[in-house]
Amino acid sequence: MSRSHELSGRIDRVAEDAVRRLARSLSRRSFLGRLGAALAGGAALPLLPVSRVSAAEEPGVAPAAPEGIAGPEGDPASCQYWRHCAIDGFLCSCCGGSHTACPPGTTMSPVTWIGTCRNPADGKHYVISYNDCCGKDLCARCFCNRNEGDRPAYFPQKSNDINWCVAAPSTVYNCSTAIVLGVAVES
Amino acid sequence: MRAPAAVLVLAALAAGGAGAQPISGPRLDYVLQCMGCHLEDGSGAPGRVPTLAGVGRFLRVPGGRDYLVRVPGVAHAPLDDAALAALLNWMLARFDPAAASAPGFVAFGAAEVARLRAVPLADATAQRRALLAALETAR
Repeated sequence: MSRSHELSGRIDRVAEDAVRRLARSLSRRSFLGRLGAALAGGAALPLLPVSRVSAAEEPGVAPAAPEGIAGPEGDPASCQYWRHCAIDGFLCSCCGGSHTACPPGTTMSPVTWIGTCRNPADGKHYVISYNDCCGKDLCARCFCNRNEGDRPAYFPQKSNDINWCVAAPSTVYNCSTAIVLGVAVES
Repeated sequence: MRAPAAVLVLAALAAGGAGAQPISGPRLDYVLQCMGCHLEDGSGAPGRVPTLAGVGRFLRVPGGRDYLVRVPGVAHAPLDDAALAALLNWMLARFDPAAASAPGFVAFGAAEVARLRAVPLADATAQRRALLAALETAR
């Protein structure tokens, strides 16, 4: 290999490493923000959760609560669903999974970000774990970005901008669940 | 009228369902501030998030007790000094009961936590390595 080839090969490797590092470290939100902007003007508009919000307010569409929580459950495929008060991502309910289960072919990230949401049905604050589902490309349906209790990334445990697939077998993010861990009882 | 906590707890229990268990006190702080990464059983993620099993071993080497307060996840937690001290004591009892019940164990207090978390730990990873090396030597 000539000297110039050797040099360009080295530059390629350095550039590739840098891009890979950048891709690993960039937050999901920066990508999702751009994706959301692209979707808003495109043919994918009906996929956005706006129409589902009004559907959730109609009687008869609410599925049964899976975890024994009192009151009307609401629509887990809606951004306005009470458990989604701090979500930032695609709803697994719209992606072949549910708000408590990952779509087929994905793995639930063991590490997660945890917050609380008030259930309007009983006024209680529930502890919600937003476990990401990982291993397939972005679901790209029902993007929600509600950020109650979200903190900047320098509070990593309180930030929903982090790709929580970081400790899953695959770091590719697909969608987010919203699992109730319990009722927060302030002492 | 505000219902007493005990009534709320009973009401939550009566509501049933494993997902609706009441969570309070230091355990609630652990769930909201630590558990996302360290997991419910404290096992963490090998290679990324240290396990909390046996975390009390740090108390056996000089600087280890300070480290447990000054490590960024603890020192920067949005909790007041008393709540953070209670969380540390709860964490030790939960993940290293032998260390927490050892004869010489002194519980963390709010004043101690306030003093220690005020001093930034510039290189937590290096400090952790040094403490683990000291533990190895002490064995």
